[in-house]
Amino acid sequence: MKLSLKYKVLMIVILSVFTAFSLYYFVTKLQQEQAVTEALIDYRNITREYGLDAVYKSKEYPIEVELYPTAHTEAILERWKAISERYPELDYPKAAIEAEDWLTVEESLEDTDVLKEVVDQMYEDSTIPPEGAGASFTTLFNYIKYHQYDTQYIEEVLIDLGIEPLKETD
Amino acid sequence: MKKRITVIIVTVIALLTIVSYLMFQWLNDNQDIEEAIEQEFRTLRQYVEDVYAIEYLDDDRALVFYSWDFPVFYNFGVMELEKTWRGWQFVESISNRIEVENAWVKGVYAEITDYVILRGPMWAGIDEIEIITDDGREYRPEIGRAEWQMWYLILEDEPFEEATFILYDSDGEVLREEVLQFDLNWPE
Repeated sequence: MKLSLKYKVLMIVILSVFTAFSLYYFVTKLQQEQAVTEALIDYRNITREYGLDAVYKSKEYPIEVELYPTAHTEAILERWKAISERYPELDYPKAAIEAEDWLTVEESLEDTDVLKEVVDQMYEDSTIPPEGAGASFTTLFNYIKYHQYDTQYIEEVLIDLGIEPLKETD
Repeated sequence: MKKRITVIIVTVIALLTIVSYLMFQWLNDNQDIEEAIEQEFRTLRQYVEDVYAIEYLDDDRALVFYSWDFPVFYNFGVMELEKTWRGWQFVESISNRIEVENAWVKGVYAEITDYVILRGPMWAGIDEIEIITDDGREYRPEIGRAEWQMWYLILEDEPFEEATFILYDSDGEVLREEVLQFDLNWPE
């Protein structure tokens, strides 16, 4: 079976076009998948961190995820707002919260220098901790995010500054 | 000659199509739903997850009740899967953050595709739940057990905003009565 030159050229052109389209399709698909994976990881992390409710309507490109605040989220925001009202250098991202743009909200709590500056100021403003006592930026981060008191005096400092209510004694 | 080549090409394409269709059918019929669920969780990135129950709505649709987020597993989810020519595929999922501690029973309302689902965590010592609505309807929700315990009710009639939950132990004794409210407008 001998094919004419014209036929061979036609076959090569068709194969080349097919290969080019396939490559383009797979590279685009790969890039989309990578972007989707990164976005889903972000949504997962933000859902965990802020205790959000989440509705996933599509987890493939284009992904469709809706996030909603819960009582747990409100508690985090209340702690954050209380600190920010006294120490405005710690930004409280009101606009992003109202827009329920949780990824932007998270970015506002990532400046470790500001967190450290605020916690240092809190220790200085309080009469409770002895001279030389201090805390790291994670102390403030863990308090806002997880309501944890991971360093000595932090709970007393927060009560002293009126950010946390006085503990009831039996 | 051209005719012969055309016949060969058409025959090969037809054979490939038939073989592919048969292979898909075979894979589809033999697909294990638990493996499909695991795969969907992997792509959702909501690991580590714990499955409480799988409810088949019909031959081609299933609801998976689960909780995720190691180590507390406070995110209680329901995911709908549909069987398509590609096998069991994700349709939609709803995850609600519900803190379990110090509660006998909790519950949330959600709509997933055409269904109204009520579900929530409950204390481990509860063996059975009876739900009585204000207009006198009675339901016995299903209970799934994994990291926590989850009750769930797939409602086929009108949803209700409030109901009394009567909680029974394994001897059939009433442990407690709780009134739960449901936000029928969630997530608006």
